[in-house]
Amino acid sequence: MEQIPFFIFAAIAVLSAIGVISVKNAVHGAFYLMITLLQVAAIFILLRSPFLAAVQVFIYVGAVMVLFLFAVMVLDIGKEELRETFNQQGVIAIPAVLVMLALIGYMIIGGKVLAPAGNLTDDVLIGNSTEVLGKELYTKYLFPFEVVSILLLIALVGAIVLVMKDRKR
Amino acid sequence: MSGKERLNIFELIKKVVFTDFVKGLSITLGYNVRGSMTLKYPDQEKWIPYKRFRGLHTLNRDENGRELCVACELCSKACPTQCITVIPMEDDTGRGISDRVAKVWKVDLVRCLFCGYCEDACPTRAVRLGRDYELACSDSSCNLKQREELLVPQSVPESFEGGVVAASTFEASPAGLRVKADLTKTKKRPW
Amino acid sequence: MPDISLIVALALMVIKVFIVTTILFVLPLPLTYVERKVAGHIQVRLGPWRVGPHGLLQPFADMIKLILKEDIVPDKADKFLFKLAPLMAMLPAFVVYAAIPFGDKWTIPFIDREVTLYIADMNVGILYVLAISGLGIYGLIFGGWSSNSKYALIGGLRSSAQMISYEIAVSFSAIGVVLLSRSLSLLEIVKSQGGNLLHWNFFYLPVGPVWFAIFLIGSLAEINRVPFDLPEDEGTLGAGFHTEYSGMRFAFFMLAEYLALVTVSVMSVVLFFGGWNAPFNVPFVPPILWFLGKVILFIYFFMWVRFTLPRYRYDQLMTIGWKILIPVSLVNLIITGLMKI
Repeated sequence: MEQIPFFIFAAIAVLSAIGVISVKNAVHGAFYLMITLLQVAAIFILLRSPFLAAVQVFIYVGAVMVLFLFAVMVLDIGKEELRETFNQQGVIAIPAVLVMLALIGYMIIGGKVLAPAGNLTDDVLIGNSTEVLGKELYTKYLFPFEVVSILLLIALVGAIVLVMKDRKR
Repeated sequence: MSGKERLNIFELIKKVVFTDFVKGLSITLGYNVRGSMTLKYPDQEKWIPYKRFRGLHTLNRDENGRELCVACELCSKACPTQCITVIPMEDDTGRGISDRVAKVWKVDLVRCLFCGYCEDACPTRAVRLGRDYELACSDSSCNLKQREELLVPQSVPESFEGGVVAASTFEASPAGLRVKADLTKTKKRPW
Repeated sequence: MPDISLIVALALMVIKVFIVTTILFVLPLPLTYVERKVAGHIQVRLGPWRVGPHGLLQPFADMIKLILKEDIVPDKADKFLFKLAPLMAMLPAFVVYAAIPFGDKWTIPFIDREVTLYIADMNVGILYVLAISGLGIYGLIFGGWSSNSKYALIGGLRSSAQMISYEIAVSFSAIGVVLLSRSLSLLEIVKSQGGNLLHWNFFYLPVGPVWFAIFLIGSLAEINRVPFDLPEDEGTLGAGFHTEYSGMRFAFFMLAEYLALVTVSVMSVVLFFGGWNAPFNVPFVPPILWFLGKVILFIYFFMWVRFTLPRYRYDQLMTIGWKILIPVSLVNLIITGLMKI
């Protein structure tokens, strides 16, 4: 039963992802990216993780994409600039992508992508996945969590520093 | 809040508890709960102007029903826009108070600016600017008011004090729209 | 052969969704009327008066007018996004109500079946509502951009900038509520405010009123209402992002705006004023009436604010968002955390 919605969401996600990179207009691209992110959020719900889904919609669709659109609309990126980005990287990029796809395929077939679920069975997750997530983050995975936070903080400070430098000139 | 400004604690407290907003909101709430000032014109209410109001011209008669106008043409001479046309004629049937009466007395309301010079100029107080103010119409036929029309007594009698809101009824008929005021049912204006 | 109870549950869900959607579709009609009446009376006028007794049929007259208007799509507009934008503004406004609890449980008379007065009790309800209501902004942005009009574009830009700035403050106030109620589920948040007036989150002194103020100001800015209605600032932008829209497409934007107003009122009641809980023990008043009463009070409050305050300047808007609301909410967050240890 659950396969059917998954395939619907996945198909729309892939199609709109192709749309993102194939349309000429940057705003249309943003629109398709938004749809992709929403579909991914829907898949998160199927994976018993409503918290991740809500955060995905909240952060990516709600804030990051809006910022992205803001920048696209202000800068008014033309079609020429989009073409320029494909100069000579194709030679390297296409083999790299193929290798990556092969790797992913190998891992999926070999069953190595799935992490052991441990005691996190469906029954535990359905009711209070948020609580489980929070507890795991703040106990077992505290160190990586803090590292990620510091990384984000560095990026934040870096962005401010870049802007401040620009202002002095 | 600029940094140079010295932070006044009192001002800060005022800002934190939104005193300005509360003041503004209480004023608008007061307006909200008090009655409206809108007259329900033309359905239910109509404003009856004061005596000093200068509306549509009216030609008066004396107590015996004779026309006061002697067709002296002073009004048309005094008129700054030359909107009044008077053509005199001889008449000894007792239509007017003298043998000279107006054959034509017409006013072009499009040009008239309701200054009241005509009533000042009139030696017999025949022409007065009355209290009818609903002069709009859907074609240009009503722009020119003839003597016959103006001799009809106006809707608000001269003796009525005015400056009140009267109850009214709205009558729509093929002949035109009319707002009929009931002068016995009046109240003070709401503003 | 599936279980019979599953089918009944599913049918019940469909019925509830249908009822809620219908109510939401019809709701803008009375709201426009009330808003115009409130506007009229605050300005010492009468408001709508001539269509029907006390102007009661005015919304229907408006509706007929909007339906009959010509549907204009500007020649140089981006047709695809131009047509999609009103729907993108409208859809999230409806979807939000999937998570909102209107009441706890209600027994249908005669057949003795308990029905929950909410469509779904999500364990991340508060996040869901914030996330989905944030999506409505896309309608404004795409509508503004695709119109190919400078006024609409600036309106769309303003709305996106405003939204990003105030979303942070609103999320902080949501975090505050989660700290106070110890749950992300809206149902649990309301239940935690049970009892009397003093259990409401608003009266959790001293942080409750501060959270509420932050939430109120941030939400007002997010739904683009006065005093933060810069995206449709008619003084400088024509009509803002919907300058080029006419007829029913414009009506969809208005519908979304009114529903957003209701959503913010409902969220204020649910998060800070105890949802359907009575302020003190009064017999014979069903909880749903308390809920509706509070929501109506809030809707009136927003209309009242609209016809009282002037519009903020754009730099003032940004200053309030970034330099006042966010620092205040950070400080408040620390205080709340310390109080809740």
